[in-house]
Amino acid sequence: MSGITLQTVRKEFETGDEHVVAVDDVDLEIRDGEFLVLVGPSGCGKTTTLRCIAGLEDVTDGTIAFGDDDVTDLRARERDVAMVFQNYALYPHMNVRENIGMGLKLSSSMTSAEIDAKVQDVAELLGIEDLLGQKPKELSGGQQQRVALGRAIVRDPAAFLMDEPLSNLDAKLRAQMRTELQTLQHDLDVTTVYVTHDQTEAMAMGDRIAIMNGGELQQVGTAEEVYRSPVNEFVADFIGSPSINTFDATVEGATLHGPGGFEYTLSDPSPVEGRDRVRVGIRPEDMTLVDDGVAIDTTVLEPMGNENFLYATMGDQELTLRVVPSARPSPGDTVEFAFDEDALYLFDANSGAALKTKTDAGAPLVEEPEEPEVAE
Amino acid sequence: MAAPTSNEPLSDPTVRDRARFFRQALSRRLPGLGESGVGYVFLLPTFLLFTLFLGFPILYTFYLSFFRFEGVSDETLLWIDLPGFEFQLTRIAELEFVGLQNYTAMFTDTLFLQASFNTLFILLVQVPLMVGLALLFAVALNASFVKFRGVFRTVLALPVSANLVAYSTVFLLLMQESGLVNYLLTSVGLPAIPWLSSSFWSRMTIVGAVTWRWTGYNMIILLAGLQNIPQQLYEAAEIDGASRIEKFRYVTVPQLRPVLLFVFVTSTIGTFKLFSEPVIINSGGAPLDSTITIVQYIYQTAFIDFRLGYASALTYVLIFVVSLLSAAQLRIGGSADA
Amino acid sequence: MREETRREAVWQFLTYAFVLLGAVVTMVPLYWIAVASTLKESEFLSSTSPRLLPGDSFLANFESLQARQNVQFVGHPGEMTQYIDLGPFYFAYDFWHLWDMGAMESSIFVAVVYTALSLLLCSMAGFAFAKYEFRFKKPIFYAILATLILPIQLLVIPLFLLMSQLGLTNNYWAIILPWAANPLGIFLMRQNMRSIPDALLESARMDGATEFQLYYKIALPTMKSSLAALAIILFLFQWNLFLFPLVILDQGKYTIPVAINQLVGAQRVYYDQIMVAAALSVIPVFLLFLFLQKQFVSGILAGAVKE
Repeated sequence: MSGITLQTVRKEFETGDEHVVAVDDVDLEIRDGEFLVLVGPSGCGKTTTLRCIAGLEDVTDGTIAFGDDDVTDLRARERDVAMVFQNYALYPHMNVRENIGMGLKLSSSMTSAEIDAKVQDVAELLGIEDLLGQKPKELSGGQQQRVALGRAIVRDPAAFLMDEPLSNLDAKLRAQMRTELQTLQHDLDVTTVYVTHDQTEAMAMGDRIAIMNGGELQQVGTAEEVYRSPVNEFVADFIGSPSINTFDATVEGATLHGPGGFEYTLSDPSPVEGRDRVRVGIRPEDMTLVDDGVAIDTTVLEPMGNENFLYATMGDQELTLRVVPSARPSPGDTVEFAFDEDALYLFDANSGAALKTKTDAGAPLVEEPEEPEVAE
Repeated sequence: MAAPTSNEPLSDPTVRDRARFFRQALSRRLPGLGESGVGYVFLLPTFLLFTLFLGFPILYTFYLSFFRFEGVSDETLLWIDLPGFEFQLTRIAELEFVGLQNYTAMFTDTLFLQASFNTLFILLVQVPLMVGLALLFAVALNASFVKFRGVFRTVLALPVSANLVAYSTVFLLLMQESGLVNYLLTSVGLPAIPWLSSSFWSRMTIVGAVTWRWTGYNMIILLAGLQNIPQQLYEAAEIDGASRIEKFRYVTVPQLRPVLLFVFVTSTIGTFKLFSEPVIINSGGAPLDSTITIVQYIYQTAFIDFRLGYASALTYVLIFVVSLLSAAQLRIGGSADA
Repeated sequence: MREETRREAVWQFLTYAFVLLGAVVTMVPLYWIAVASTLKESEFLSSTSPRLLPGDSFLANFESLQARQNVQFVGHPGEMTQYIDLGPFYFAYDFWHLWDMGAMESSIFVAVVYTALSLLLCSMAGFAFAKYEFRFKKPIFYAILATLILPIQLLVIPLFLLMSQLGLTNNYWAIILPWAANPLGIFLMRQNMRSIPDALLESARMDGATEFQLYYKIALPTMKSSLAALAIILFLFQWNLFLFPLVILDQGKYTIPVAINQLVGAQRVYYDQIMVAAALSVIPVFLLFLFLQKQFVSGILAGAVKE
């Protein structure tokens, strides 16, 4: 077991006459035994990063190390990592036993009898010992998923790499496998890098989350850190569901002027000092309906049972609010909302860098919330 | 990091295990090739065979077509004699340059013109006949009411597996003066036909033989094409009140057009390559001129008369014609995919 | 309505009659090969009353075929020339002469070796084209594709000269090697291997497979049905080769087509012998066709579905 260190890892592709930088100088340290989730929108470079760690792609520049060993120039099969693919990639012509045992057969120095015993152990661990004689096409999606996991586990690798392994399962099974996978990873205590595009999954599963965009690593932190103290507007927008409301505002002294008559005077104007424009961010869950707040026009109300999603416009700015189920304005109704300054986010109008993030109660376990660690 | 087993080794490695370990050790020691290297390694044998047995002949035929062949040469061009290795490269052939003479000679070569005529005759009679039959069989077997479809298809396609030369001999036998076909004709009161000795009828014998051999083959292709026609088209035509023949004319034929064209073009090319059937059937006694095909003529010129230069020129002309037809075929096939 | 059903019935009758007639006509030559091979020549070559049912002269015909001087149709035990004689022990080590091959064995041998070799080469090349990136990949592939339109049997003249240079005249390799890298086969394998998911290969790479193991442990097993169809195409191609073997092979090494041609071209043609030869050469492949019909049909269709 070992941690994984990426130093200024860069991956460029030539596709026809186009030059693509898929991974742009990523520095990342994955701790030994950690469950790290790489998350980001599609095309952000998360899968390419994972494939570079796996050794399926050569890096253009930078180094990758497992523990103290530089593995940058090693081929995939020499790196002692196991990967679980989105479509499981089970060998269709082999039964479950052969699928799981393949890795050992190809690269371990175990005898056939030892391999058989090991496969049996892993199958029992995953509860698929009855399926060992079957071919992949005879299995359900969940069973195939387990076989794919078994294939990774059986080799006792230095790290598990998982590329959206749950995205082919239906919602219910996905939730079940999510917890199962976490328990398994916790028990095996193997460093795991997990790629997903689903921020909910990332938040739920990761010890830490690494958010990528446009090939660049944006931020690495625990779920709470990236939610409460995003380094920039992209992270703030990507993490959290429904997404944070953001809009432009002009600054006059300590007062922010936004669309549709939004006006708010900061009690602590230090983040906006010397600026005339900022981006304002307020999470839907931090907005409460009041009688004397900012006026907005209701467009749609979605009752969720335990809460209501209220969609509204403030001038030409669309907003989403999470409100108590008893609040039931009709479309067209004007309502008013308020928020705590502690919950307010402020970003640089041009770069999107965070100027102020959440400082309300439930303080996160972060050393310096105002300056979270920025990759790059 | 290697997989340590918690329990004691369960068994000694078997012979197969040892072989596996040896392979692993070997592959670990071999250097990695990089992706493009691997691609080249997989291609290497193919590449060598292609260059030697296809690339070289294509170019050499062209070269040869400007020469008169005087005989096989044994003149040494290059001679390497090292201990344990001896290599001697001799000239391939004794040649005399004649320019375009081989090409111009064709136009006055009556046997070549006769061979072209024969090939064309077979082409014009046989291809339409065979494709027509294949289409009718395919349509019949595609009809929903036909039972034992599989059996019929098997029987009709059976000739596909017949050896070209072996089956030609059966036609040689069937069409004898006193053969089965003439027996059947005379027993119903028709005159016997000189199937093998008359110029016209010996060509027809070849037409018949080739049709027998290839109709089933083409039927299978057409049947696959028919099964790709959406059933709704027929239902729509039926609602519009189309008769059986109208449905065939306005739905089947247009929908099948690409496949039909493919069958036509491949059959045409096949006719240009005809060799086994005329060689065998011609030995039945017809004057050689009446059935000789182009490939047969090339064979004769090259390996009986040993005029290799002239034969090469003929080959190139034929390759040119066939390539044109094949290019047309690829184009048609390509547009069929779209 | 009754008019309608009657016409339908007539139509069905005509369809059946047509298909049935076709089937019968198709079967006649095959039937005649089988029957004539069991009859004396005078029994089936008769314009007045040929015998239409099988007789019992098959073995006699076969023996007379085997007695031919110029053609050895079916082989026989060979004469060992390389041996060690140790008194009571006698070791022969020229196993090639355990059996002197006739045309039947030669054809089968050549076709099987060719099919195996060509399957190997085509699948390797197809795998490279489908799953690897390398320089000049496209030009090389299109060059191979272009030779698809060449009737390669037409290259006999330079091939003949080349084989005499290489000392391969009257050698089976001369009729195996030139088309072992079959362009149609390469094309078909490439098309089919593109459907192998990349993740499957990568997964095997992660499991520690070498690139060559990817090929024979993953790619080949998943391509079984395509390989079977291609095997049929290749086998029939070699089985039917006539022109080049005719040019390159001498007596004693004939394949079936050349041997039969010898029989037909002889001074005196013995049809009973020829029919035995034809029956022996045609019937095994017929049986194969009946057993492997699915593969034959997909082979025909695979050959027909060029891009």
